[in-house]
Amino acid sequence: MDSSSHMASLPEDIITDEHLQQQTQPASASAFASVPQRPPTKSSSEKYAPLDWSVYFDKEDDVAIPESNDVFHVYTAGTEGPVVFCLHGGGYSGLSFAVSASKIKEKARVVAMDLRGHGKSLTEDDLDLSVETMCNDVLAVIKELYSDSPPAIILVGHSCIILLTIIGKKLLHHQSMGGSIAVHVAARRSLSALAGLVVVDVVEGTAMASLIHMQKILSSRMQHFSSIEKAIEWSVRGGSLRNIDSARVSIPATLKYDHSKKCYLYRTELEKTEQYWKGWYEGLSDKFLSCPVPKLLLLAGTDRLDRSLTIGQMQGKFQMVVVRHTGHAIQEDVPDEFATLIVNFISRNRIGPHGIEIPGLRKPAFSKP
Amino acid sequence: MPSHADLDRQIEHLMECKPLPEAEVKALCDQARAILVEEWNVQPVKCPVTVCGDIHGQFYDLIELFRIGGNAPDTNYLFMGDYVDRGYYSVETVTLLVALKVRYRDRITILRGNHESRQITQVYGFYDECLRKYGNANVWKFFTDLFDYLPLTALIESQIFCLHGGLSPSLDTLDNIRALDRIQEVPHEGPMCDLLWSDPDDRCGWGISPRGAGYTFGQDIAAQFNHTNGLSLISRAHQLVMEGFNWCQDKNVVTVFSAPNYCYRCGNMAAILEIGENMDQNFLQFDPAPRQIEPDTTRKTPDYFL
Repeated sequence: MDSSSHMASLPEDIITDEHLQQQTQPASASAFASVPQRPPTKSSSEKYAPLDWSVYFDKEDDVAIPESNDVFHVYTAGTEGPVVFCLHGGGYSGLSFAVSASKIKEKARVVAMDLRGHGKSLTEDDLDLSVETMCNDVLAVIKELYSDSPPAIILVGHSCIILLTIIGKKLLHHQSMGGSIAVHVAARRSLSALAGLVVVDVVEGTAMASLIHMQKILSSRMQHFSSIEKAIEWSVRGGSLRNIDSARVSIPATLKYDHSKKCYLYRTELEKTEQYWKGWYEGLSDKFLSCPVPKLLLLAGTDRLDRSLTIGQMQGKFQMVVVRHTGHAIQEDVPDEFATLIVNFISRNRIGPHGIEIPGLRKPAFSKP
Repeated sequence: MPSHADLDRQIEHLMECKPLPEAEVKALCDQARAILVEEWNVQPVKCPVTVCGDIHGQFYDLIELFRIGGNAPDTNYLFMGDYVDRGYYSVETVTLLVALKVRYRDRITILRGNHESRQITQVYGFYDECLRKYGNANVWKFFTDLFDYLPLTALIESQIFCLHGGLSPSLDTLDNIRALDRIQEVPHEGPMCDLLWSDPDDRCGWGISPRGAGYTFGQDIAAQFNHTNGLSLISRAHQLVMEGFNWCQDKNVVTVFSAPNYCYRCGNMAAILEIGENMDQNFLQFDPAPRQIEPDTTRKTPDYFL
């Protein structure tokens, strides 16, 4: 059922701006009798109107996984270059990368997948967000998309970062298997499915220290929305997202309509997945550091790196960029800067459609014969 | 013009980890600039001299370094950059080193690190620390303007080449380095950037640095550079090494790191390199200074990050 018909059938909003920050209460005539009703201004509803994915991505597809009933939704953009494969954070969706994808696609291809339990993906168990299951999901999607001739892939992860490191290792392992891959290796001298890792705003040490607060944070969010516009407005006014355009395209995909309560709720019941959270972060730093491809860590502040990453950074093991004037969702809040950082990372590390494009290391012009 | 007595008072004040007043910092930076502008891109240094790596605002560990290595001017020092950012006391650290430079100009050499930069210091702490301690950014501006004048490299008795980062594919000879115009913000790329950002590597040849700036260089590159320029050693900093120093590339290159327990969490030792009258080399390792009360940087409650 499409969202526009939901909007058409909904009663007019009775919640005024003054009540935006409070949880929605069942309306009662006596409670509101003394408060004059003020419908939202036209500019306000237009300002927060949902935007379609097709403004930013070129295509969307359902990827059905053989021998299962699982179907994963992917958005794609661009036709040339390596693949920037985007994995969103918990509670987000592939459309979290929509605005930045429209800029990355000028230089590379973009694939943004809705993970299990998120967006338009449908699986037999939407609450199984274990690392093992989600890794298998992503690998299965990559296999369906590219079968035996994977392009160079830069894995970009927001929050569920450990997926990157494990998937990355499997992709590296995969390239050394199979006859057809061996042929490609011979033909291209250097074939590598995994060409780079980009981690967006997660550090194991600070994440692990903060997990005990997460249920409280989740429950303190606004839980019910009378319209999609209200949800978008809350995400921007509440400060979890800072870019209205990005919120307009990404927030609708994080919601579902509850017919019995006649309001919108979060699509992903994150609070029911707590058993998996620790697994998302434990051992992350060492896995990240030991992955032998170019690595970029994007942080929204110089909050404390843990010990492993501090040592790794100071030993020159990866690039770190602190992005300012952004919240946790860097790819949404500052999509232009995010896209530029990705494209520059690809360019600086000479990542082409099939991997690092300079066989061996480059000799400088000044080198002696 | 402040006298030696004024400088001695300032140094004594700074040794207690107390910042100087803003006006005194300005005067000090003006004096330092007049000295540094006369120094070379490849600044000659005589032995004996003690070579030091990154400090990163760890003031009490700098005091420990002086306790181990001896106080200036009794010991000659060469610092290879990265005085600021990360630690709690970048202001006191860099002010002390600059004051010592002004007071004992021929007995202390201070080079530029990649953190002696306007862009880097706005992200990694020095800017915020100046705001916190002075209420405005003037002191940050005095120092970052001064940083442009720091020499890029030093040469001990024409034999040991010292710099913060490493080599550049654009620079074959010391004369190439002498020809650079160094008085500018650290560029994002190019030879000046490379000198402050590059790292030695186990692989031969030049490589793309994982850091995002500079290059990695192999033993073949370092050996060729040393041979071409009549050098016996490249001494550099920039990388954390757990023992405080690390030989690599068949002793063509040594890394010296002088911030123990870097960022108050890494658990590493620090080291300094004593080069004696006859060019003999001796590493002195040291642990962090006894724990100081940490400034209460407020821990904010975490945001959503799943």
